[in-house]
Amino acid sequence: MKKILTSTVVLMSSLCLSAGAYAQTKEIRVLLANHPYGELLKTAIPEFEKQSGIKVNFESLQEGQLTTKLTTEFATKSSSVDVFMTRPLQEGKMFNKNGWYEPLKAYDFSDYPKNVMSVAAAGATPFLVPLVTEWQVLYYRKDLFQAAGLQVPKTFAELEATAQKLNSDAVAGIASRGKGAAAVTQLSSYVYNYGGLYIDKGVAVFDQPAAIDAIRYYGKLLGTYGPKGVTSMSWENIMPLFQAGKVAMWTDASVFYGQIVDPAKTQIPAADVGIADLPAGPKAGSPFIVTSWGIAVANQSKNKEAALKFLDWASSKELATKGMLSNITMARTSVWKDPKVLEAVNPGLVATRAYAAEKGYPLDRPYMSAVGEARDQIGELIIESINTKGASTTLADMARAKAARVNDLLKDAGEYGQP
Amino acid sequence: MIKKSIPQEILFYLAVVFISLVVLFPFLWMLSSSFKTQTDIIAWPPKLIFSPTLHNYEKVFGEQDFLKYFINSTVVGGLAVGLSLVLGLPAAYSISRFTQRKLALFILLARLMPGISFLMPWYIIFSRLGLMDTYVALVLSHMLIALPIVVWIMSSYFNSIPVELEESAMVDGATRQYAFWAIILPMSGPGIITSVTLSFIFSWNNFMFSQVLSMEKTRTLPIAVYNFVSYAEVDWGGVMAAAVAIMAPAILLTMIFQKFVVKGLTMGAVKG
Repeated sequence: MKKILTSTVVLMSSLCLSAGAYAQTKEIRVLLANHPYGELLKTAIPEFEKQSGIKVNFESLQEGQLTTKLTTEFATKSSSVDVFMTRPLQEGKMFNKNGWYEPLKAYDFSDYPKNVMSVAAAGATPFLVPLVTEWQVLYYRKDLFQAAGLQVPKTFAELEATAQKLNSDAVAGIASRGKGAAAVTQLSSYVYNYGGLYIDKGVAVFDQPAAIDAIRYYGKLLGTYGPKGVTSMSWENIMPLFQAGKVAMWTDASVFYGQIVDPAKTQIPAADVGIADLPAGPKAGSPFIVTSWGIAVANQSKNKEAALKFLDWASSKELATKGMLSNITMARTSVWKDPKVLEAVNPGLVATRAYAAEKGYPLDRPYMSAVGEARDQIGELIIESINTKGASTTLADMARAKAARVNDLLKDAGEYGQP
Repeated sequence: MIKKSIPQEILFYLAVVFISLVVLFPFLWMLSSSFKTQTDIIAWPPKLIFSPTLHNYEKVFGEQDFLKYFINSTVVGGLAVGLSLVLGLPAAYSISRFTQRKLALFILLARLMPGISFLMPWYIIFSRLGLMDTYVALVLSHMLIALPIVVWIMSSYFNSIPVELEESAMVDGATRQYAFWAIILPMSGPGIITSVTLSFIFSWNNFMFSQVLSMEKTRTLPIAVYNFVSYAEVDWGGVMAAAVAIMAPAILLTMIFQKFVVKGLTMGAVKG
């Protein structure tokens, strides 16, 4: 069957080859994500068209659809995409390995934090421009803290004590993602703060004592003081709980700040919402700071000159400033020093960003091609730990088995032992 | 029919109410959420009494221009079903009258194969032909959904029509084609309506093919719902309103033709 299918395809496609090649100069195709920065680009594109004389055909898609579409187009080698928004941690490794990104030799990357750049370049030549960063923070309810006479926790020990004091039938002491694979990114900073990593030099190390301690702590915290049913909760479920005033503390990415202080979306007054650095662990204070979105030129593009021009414009400082003013946490360092921006952006965001940019770790998940499967494996450990309130007797054995599985995935992709 | 005692009746209706509540609950939740603001949607305990807003529907038809996606979905579904009838009705007739089981099985195979395995070859073919973002590509791909349904429902339906009817027509000098056109088809109303309704709804709801083969111009409704899902932000009110708007035609279609659908589905199987 497969043979027939392939031969039909080959026959058909060779018949159709003559009809191909619809690339034109001075016209590019751009795929954007359903993301506030994508929206911003959409409204600004007419301006770019006017000053450059390049016509831009753009399309904007939800992130999952975007990845599916890019993968299909690139894998069949018949893509007409020139420039696209991309998620470096989710798809970067695979796209780069397949040679789908165009190397960016001439781009000036001096305005980006060093730890952020590590995912934009494999080895020497960067292949994408970071657009948006996010980092892990602690959101908390100022009013509840005040009523209970509590200070913002600075260490994991204090965090647990605070969660215990604030926990009641009506309000959960603390929330963080508990839903398996979705929780892996939020667990990451806990692992770093315990001195562990998911993957070190291409080898899975989340079965080492440091990481196990972190998973136990996370499970104890959420299993004891978390909302009911936390093992089926991702940010989609926790944010509404926080917005409805059912959660006293919440550790998650900085990207949600705008929504939880927006009076149209939140029931609690904005003045009662606090934002702070993620408390430090026994070994370190190193929250993740990741490039959640970047922009890249397709290696298959037939209009590279125009595409690079668009890339320069779309990642320019001017647009980054505009992004900051619409509450998007941009990757460029200089915009965080712009007085005009500082006036408009919440000081809590500026302070937590400065902490993360200095001390943070640039990954929030196992950075590998089979990232989805690896997240499933670690996700099972998280659920086991939460269900047993961190006291699971089988956790270490489970972790060893999962790490072996992830190592197999790394070996399959030829990434095992690679830095 | 045996007459039921009163307690039995009561139990029966209680069961009916209970089951419909369970079945309808998600739908009612969706409907009520589509008239709520974002804060009301996330409120806990859920607000049963709230001041309804049309804002979500304004977004669906104003900001997002869902009318365009409606037209796209209707054109694609309509053409795919129509062409499937043109090809599928004669095919089903032939399968039924000449018992071509292998052919029938082969057509079913197209339906059994995971749709995703078609995507790559299609993408190559359609993009080389310059047919991306055109109705042609979408209609052809959606025929893969509609055609097997038409063939399978109709061949079992034709089985239920006595062969004697055509035979007597052919004795009187009609050709087989004429007998099919003038005698069999007019008798097949319920079957045709069943296959049209089902295949149209499957095409209407299809996500996978449209996702890869459509672009901005030909985007269909199921893809467009995701316009309300942004990075780290979901506009639940918009999603709910869009879902209601998408479901409405499908529900309407089913309600109008429900009688025929049940008849058409059971006709071939249990005709004594």
